Parts: sequence; structure tokens; C-alpha cells
Amino acid sequence: TRLQGSVKKTWDITKLIYMNNIDPADAIRRWKQEEEEFTDDESEENIEDEDEDFFTKKFDASKAADANLDTFIPKHRPVEELKSKWNDQKLDELASRFLGSTRKILNGNDGD
Amino acid sequence: MLTFQGTRNFRIRLALATLSGKPIKIEKVRSNELNPGLTDYEISILRLLETLTNGSKIEISYTGTTLIYYPGLITGGTFTHNCPPSKSVGYFIELVLYIAPFAKKKINATFKGLTSSHEDYNAEGIRFGLLPILEKFGVRDCQLHILKRGFAPTGEGEVKLIINSLISTPLTLHALESSKFVKIKGIAYCCRVSPSIVNRLIDSTKQQLKRLGCEIDITADVWRGESSGKSPGFGLMLYTDNKKNWRIFSEDIGNASEVPEDLSTRVVLSLLENLENSKIVGSNQLGLVLIFMLLGKEDLGRLKISKHQIDENLIWLLRDIKQMFGIEIYMKEDEDEEDAFIATVKGAGFTNTNKKIA
Repeated sequence: TRLQGSVKKTWDITKLIYMNNIDPADAIRRWKQEEEEFTDDESEENIEDEDEDFFTKKFDASKAADANLDTFIPKHRPVEELKSKWNDQKLDELASRFLGSTRKILNGNDGD
Repeated sequence: MLTFQGTRNFRIRLALATLSGKPIKIEKVRSNELNPGLTDYEISILRLLETLTNGSKIEISYTGTTLIYYPGLITGGTFTHNCPPSKSVGYFIELVLYIAPFAKKKINATFKGLTSSHEDYNAEGIRFGLLPILEKFGVRDCQLHILKRGFAPTGEGEVKLIINSLISTPLTLHALESSKFVKIKGIAYCCRVSPSIVNRLIDSTKQQLKRLGCEIDITADVWRGESSGKSPGFGLMLYTDNKKNWRIFSEDIGNASEVPEDLSTRVVLSLLENLENSKIVGSNQLGLVLIFMLLGKEDLGRLKISKHQIDENLIWLLRDIKQMFGIEIYMKEDEDEEDAFIATVKGAGFTNTNKKIA
């Protein structure tokens, strides 16, 4: 069990970026302070699948990732998730970054 | 000799090697896969590099899993490159953009093949998304002309890349203010399908973006006859400029049996995500910007980036840059915006020797 009141370490991203002893994916995880939660959940989830996928998982993962290794084009979440994410509140936030956006006025008039 | 493993940042590593003049070795290229070694498009990229340079030497192992590249001088000039159907012309043009402004002769290159794909920049993405980035660094006279469009599988498209502005050193960049966006523009295009597809794309996009309450201007671009390749297809590109003329864009093409409304939803949502997760430039432009900042004179360049833009790909790029040029890019928390960093880059003092002699 963890000690009560233990504080998560806050990482300096510049240091993490150039720490060659850790993988960039791990660096991102540490920076976002997801490390502990991630490893706990993952290890529990993987126990059941481990025997079935032991030989195939590594191959599949590398093949799927191969297309993303040499590009800066971001991969977004599935459309359905994004549709639910971009609700009125989120659009209001983004509309405020547009010059002369009429979104607020529309909302005020007829609740569009 | 610097050694890398796998196909991560394949083109960028070759480009950085060419710019730094350092030979590199890339090993374990798909060495654990059923089809090991370099693919047809990677071989094609190496051929393109040979065309662009003089004196470069490439050694590939028997299995294709190890490659040694000795860079030569960047010569440029006029050439035609036939791209394999596995990648669109954008994959090849992207590499040219990294090194072409430092060539000896102006670039007048014709690329033949697919003009659009899901994985790489489409011709529109290059033209409206990446070439304006080069302008910010002093590479002003760049054009991309689409002579023929070509969708998968047959392709047969043709684009001409002209880079008339050769520079000795890129300008130092200071982009710290994320200003407001002006309006959303775009291009909806199609080949060998009913022109009504384009109209549906435009209507659906306008309908969805109307919720933002900003001005929208989308152009229809319908291709017919010999200049439209042999395969049908349609695509959409959306972009928005801010008051400082920085542009953020998203693009995609339709899948087989997909309706235009689904494509427009995908591209609209992708643009919204890119806008939300960006400060000055989009994630799809960040690599190009950082590399040109790196090549600048020995002065500090600064760029505001969003915390969302720091991902695995960016870290790989920054590590490759350090390995090749010995320069670290420093990330400092932005005092004005909580979710932003200021990326500070000390230029490597790169000089285009061709330009100096001329």
C-alpha cells in the first residue's frame, strides 16, 4: 500500500526529452504523471490476455505503428468521440478565438 | 558514424544528415517483420536524394535491413520523379522542402503519382499548409502547381514544385503571440465523380462550421478528362489564418463508398482539434518549423507551442536533432498562457555553401 500523502514528482519536460535512457513514450507518460495509474491498470488488464497474445502482440503493434513512425500528421480520436466532445461549450471556447465570431449573438437570439 | 535503428523519422534523418553533411547508418529496418528491409517508397526516397545531391553514396545490405548514407552536396535543378503508388507525392515533396532552399540551383521538379492519400500531405496540404511556413523563414518564391490529379489506386497525377528562392541561412523566428483567427477557407475537390459530390462537401462543411459563427469560404475544384487520372476520388482541405498570417490546416480524402458528408465531418472535427491543440502552428507543421529554426544563424529563435503538441513524435525529432547537430531545444513554461510552452532554439549557424560561393 502507498503511504498517505505521497506527492507525485513533477518532471521538467526539457530534461525528459533528452533523457536517452527512457523511451519517448515513457517520457510523455512521466511528464503527464500517468505512470503509476497506467502501470497498475495495464498489468491487471494484461494478465488474462497474456497467454493468448504472447507471440502475436509484438508483431501486430509494430506493424500498425509503422505508418505513424515517419510523419507529423496527428492521429485524432475516433469521429464519434470527437462529435460528443465538440459540444456547445467547447465551440464557444473556440469561437472566442475567431475575430468577429457571431456565435455569441446567435446563442443570445435563438439559441442556435 | 551516427547510427539509428528502425524506420522512425526515416526522411527527417536523411534530410538532417544531408544538411549536416554527416554520414548515417540506419539498421534493423523492419528486421523482425515478414517482409524485412526497406520498402519501395523508401528506396524511391533514396533515389530522390541521389537526384537532389551530387556525390552522395548509398549502401544497402543484401536483406535491405541496413542502410549507410554518405551525403553529398545539395545541387537541386530540374528533374522528374516517378513516385511509387504506395505513397503520395506529398511524402516525397516533404523531404525536398527540408533541403531544397539550400541547393545550388533553383528547384523545378515534377512529381508523378498519387496527389492525395490518407497518410501523407496532399498536394493542397503542401501548397497551402507547408509552403507558407517556408515564407516565414525567407524562402519566398515557392510554388506548387497541380497539373493532373491522381487518386489511388492508379494515380497518374502530376505536380510541379518550383523553389526559386535559394537562401544562405533561414531567418530567425520569434513567434510568441497567438492572435485571433480571421476566417476559415478551404478547397473541395474531386476527380471522375459527379460534381455534386463537391457541392455536398461544401454544404455539409458550411453547415457544421456555421456553429462557430465565423466567415467561411470554400472553393470547388472539379477535375475532368485527361487531367484527372483514371481513379475516382474526392477530398477536402480546410485552413484558417490568424492575424499574424500563421495558418493551421486539416485535410483528408474520401474512402471507398463513403458519403461526402462523412468526409466533411471528419475534416471539420480534425480542424477543430488542430485549432484547439495549437498556438502558432499546427502539429503537422511543427517538424518543418523546428528544423528551419535549428538551421538559422547563431541566435535564439522562439516559438510558442501548445502543451498538447508535445508527443512521442516530437521527442523523437528533438533527440534526432540533438544527435545530428548537438543542439538542445529548451522548453520553458509560458507566463501568459497556462497550456503553452516557449520553445527556444539556438540556431546551428548553418550556411548554404553553394550560395556563399555564388
